[in-house]
Amino acid sequence: MSWAQGILLARSLSRGWRGICGTILMRAPFSQVPSQAPRGLHCSTATHNSDSSLVPSPPEPLRGPTKALSPHEELFRQSPDVARDKATFVRAVQNFGQHNVHKRGHVDFIYLALRKMREYGVEQDLAVYNLLLDIFPKEVFRPRNIFQRIFIHYPRQQECGVAVLEQMENHGVMPNKETEFLLIQIFGRKSHPMLKFVRMRLWFSRFKNVNPFPVPRDLPQDPVDLARLGLRHIEPDLSARVTVYQMPPSKDSTGTADPTEQYIVGIQSPDQQAALARHNPARPIFVEGPFSLWLHNKCVYYHILRAELVPPEEREVGEIPEEWNLYYPMQLDLDYGRSGWDDYEFDINEASTGELQASSGLEEPFPPPLNGQEEEEDDPQRHQQGQS
Amino acid sequence: MNCCGLFLRTAAVRAWPALVAFTVSRRSLRTSLQTRAFAKELFLGKIEKKEVFPFPEVSQDELNEINQFVGPVEKFFTEEVDSRKIDQEGKIPKETLEKLKSLGLFGMQVPEEYGGLGLSNTMYARLREIVSVDGSIAMTLEAHQAIGLKGIILAGSEEQKARYLPKLASGEHIAAFCLTEPASGSDAASIQTRASLSEDKKHYILSGSKVWITNGGLANIFTVFAKTNVDSDSSVKDKITAFIVERDFGGVTNGKPEDKLGIRGSNICEVHFENTKVPVENVLGEVGGGLKVAMNILNSGRFSMGSSVAGMLKKLIEMTAEYACTRKQFNRNLSEFGLIQEKFALMAQKTYVMESMAYLTAGMLDQPGFPDCSIETAMVKVFSSEAAWQCVSEALQILGGSGYVRDYPYERMLRDARILLIFEGTNEILRMHIALTGLQHAGRILTARINELKQGNVTTVLDTVGRRLRDSLGRTVDLGLTGNLGAVHPSVADSARKLEENVYYFGRTVETLLLRFGKTIVEEQMVLKRVANILINLYGMTAVLSRASRSMRAGLRNHDHEVLLANIFCTEAYSQNLFTLSQLDKYSPDNLDEQIKKVSQQILERRAYICAHPLDRTS
Repeated sequence: MSWAQGILLARSLSRGWRGICGTILMRAPFSQVPSQAPRGLHCSTATHNSDSSLVPSPPEPLRGPTKALSPHEELFRQSPDVARDKATFVRAVQNFGQHNVHKRGHVDFIYLALRKMREYGVEQDLAVYNLLLDIFPKEVFRPRNIFQRIFIHYPRQQECGVAVLEQMENHGVMPNKETEFLLIQIFGRKSHPMLKFVRMRLWFSRFKNVNPFPVPRDLPQDPVDLARLGLRHIEPDLSARVTVYQMPPSKDSTGTADPTEQYIVGIQSPDQQAALARHNPARPIFVEGPFSLWLHNKCVYYHILRAELVPPEEREVGEIPEEWNLYYPMQLDLDYGRSGWDDYEFDINEASTGELQASSGLEEPFPPPLNGQEEEEDDPQRHQQGQS
Repeated sequence: MNCCGLFLRTAAVRAWPALVAFTVSRRSLRTSLQTRAFAKELFLGKIEKKEVFPFPEVSQDELNEINQFVGPVEKFFTEEVDSRKIDQEGKIPKETLEKLKSLGLFGMQVPEEYGGLGLSNTMYARLREIVSVDGSIAMTLEAHQAIGLKGIILAGSEEQKARYLPKLASGEHIAAFCLTEPASGSDAASIQTRASLSEDKKHYILSGSKVWITNGGLANIFTVFAKTNVDSDSSVKDKITAFIVERDFGGVTNGKPEDKLGIRGSNICEVHFENTKVPVENVLGEVGGGLKVAMNILNSGRFSMGSSVAGMLKKLIEMTAEYACTRKQFNRNLSEFGLIQEKFALMAQKTYVMESMAYLTAGMLDQPGFPDCSIETAMVKVFSSEAAWQCVSEALQILGGSGYVRDYPYERMLRDARILLIFEGTNEILRMHIALTGLQHAGRILTARINELKQGNVTTVLDTVGRRLRDSLGRTVDLGLTGNLGAVHPSVADSARKLEENVYYFGRTVETLLLRFGKTIVEEQMVLKRVANILINLYGMTAVLSRASRSMRAGLRNHDHEVLLANIFCTEAYSQNLFTLSQLDKYSPDNLDEQIKKVSQQILERRAYICAHPLDRTS
């Protein structure tokens, strides 16, 4: 074999190998590569070379800024006035099925569709995922004998199935019986997608309640309610009260885009109120923020009202009244305290660095500084007067 | 030598009742030092035999006198008091009240020179056995005497006594005790009622409101506790003062009577004071000493609950036994079934213990001087209130469905018995009181030892370690109760040995607890509850042994039955005590305090039951 033939063989082999590796590692569809791959000397495949063709080439599809478009991109290209939602997505998927009976290039199409889901806002929709899985031809990829079972049968397709399930996992979508049935029909029971499905079913159900502070799936749209939810997460004390200060809708806004008024939402628990009442006015109080709090994919910003811990020397020891309890002595008249073996006072989780006195969320834009600051400072006092 | 000893012993036994009578008749002339109270010494692992053995007796004359009282009162209660009507209507009819006044029941403990009956504690307890047949009447009388006018008797000046007691004793005026407010139950420092001195310094202006006042609607004389400004040497402080307030002073209004679960005949309502003028002479005790007055009043009235509950339970046993022996199921009387027999034994046993404890405490209180029996009275109250609830519930259970209907008195007695666990200091608070007062006493005495141990004094440490080793190997404890010169009769000697063992180990445990916790034991309520439970059992055992020994030696009727009851109770209490003592060890597997605290913290954080429903699924 001459060295050229050797190179060709090597290149074709490597192309085949790269195909497999490429799908596993880089997940770039194979058909995207050929326009850059070098052609061999004695290649017999017809090349689509715009330089030397005699047939006028069909107009090339519009290319994106850096990457090439995939062949089925036009299915997803909509005119700008049509909204991108579930119905159009489903229609695009169904159009693919109608184009060719043999569903050529379905793997690439599925990858493309997975990428496009976010634009169409259907990434959390189980029915859409099932529809995508439905694109696979059934019964074709199931292993039929032991050799097929040993080696990964139709690895690209299995890899694609796994990719679909992985996107479901990333978005926290729980697959259902329909998915299971589809996977069994398409890939058989012992395939990788089925294995992944079984694992998803187990671990999703186990980890469903693992968050001790769950945030509800559908977040409220109203920003005041969202702020309230966020503050309840910051201050879980059930006795804490939420107060909302809202500016009345200003007269010069004439029904334009932003209808929500400016607001300050605050939360304070009775213990914090008491701490504030005890606070010595000579010491400063700090308004710190804004800190961000993410609730799924929405971010709210909050500030906290904080005071420094009083050093133990200056701490006012609450006077224990001598005759406090009618029935039993609240304080034993003994010289000795707890023994070291029973001292559980220091708890690393409860070490305090400062006294939190209130938290509040603000709407951007910040209301005019003077009013805003005054409102902030008056808030605690108002809390006190309003609720004492 | 032996026959001499035998002769002496028989002589001693024969002389026993005479000796007892001798000591009783000479009781008022005893000049010895005031001996320490019994329960506090139990904390140090010692039994003060002089206090409890022999069981306190009254002379035959006193007994005849009291039986003379008892007769008419009993007749009145069985014939003329219709408890069902009182319960349904929610008030006591006027004729009943008049009759009670004429029987002199409104001034049982008022001294004779002021027109009352002047009964000693023991006789008062005896009369309460009968009065407690009807819960509402018992409550009204108790609120009037045991707390309402007790303040005047204990802390009042001569002229206050002369002015108020005659009318109160005859029942013309009724008294009430006003301490509780909406925001303060046991927390005395937080009462809001204020009394400020007027400009002419002759009156106090009293304003505030009190809640849950028994006899609030009927009473004319109130013992009110309010905060006053007291100029002590260092600063001006707010201290509680007790006042005698008459309704005629003006500004006293009361709300409507509360609709209650039990004791529906008694009048419990809110009382409001608006700028009531109280003359300076009406201050009870001294200005600023109100809390001590309150504590004395409350501590002195509690023990009678033991005898009143015992009286009620005796009647209950009669009624229930009548039913159990006549009703037949499966061709046998109910009384032949084991579970029913168990219930009766329980009721009898609890009644016996309650009676013994109550009269032992009454005897202790009747000693000359002012013996400090606050722990003992608290123990009587806790034991009898819980036993009442349990026994009435069991009796209702014996009757089955009939017990549940209104036609029979059981459900009314159950409802009336529920308040016993709450008023006069809730049982939880009293357990804290029992445990902490005793621990304070023990702590003071053991201070020297504990300080030495903490500093690591070698001899003390070795001594303690040696003692612990010997304890763990099992030692026989002899505190002088059993044996030839023992205080108890040989037939209850086994139980006495168990008591001694328990007392000894209790003393050891108390020392360990003080060493472990020191002052901070005030916060360990679960530990204190266990200490209190053990102590209540110990006191019960002592009372029962003392009374059984006396019955045997004096030859009272059915003394062998008493011995049976005593032995049963002592065995049960012994095993309960052992378990509780083992729970007090630091790393004991039975000690579930940590887990309990964790569970309650998680529940209270969410203020709900947090487990998932058993039918919940995740997928």
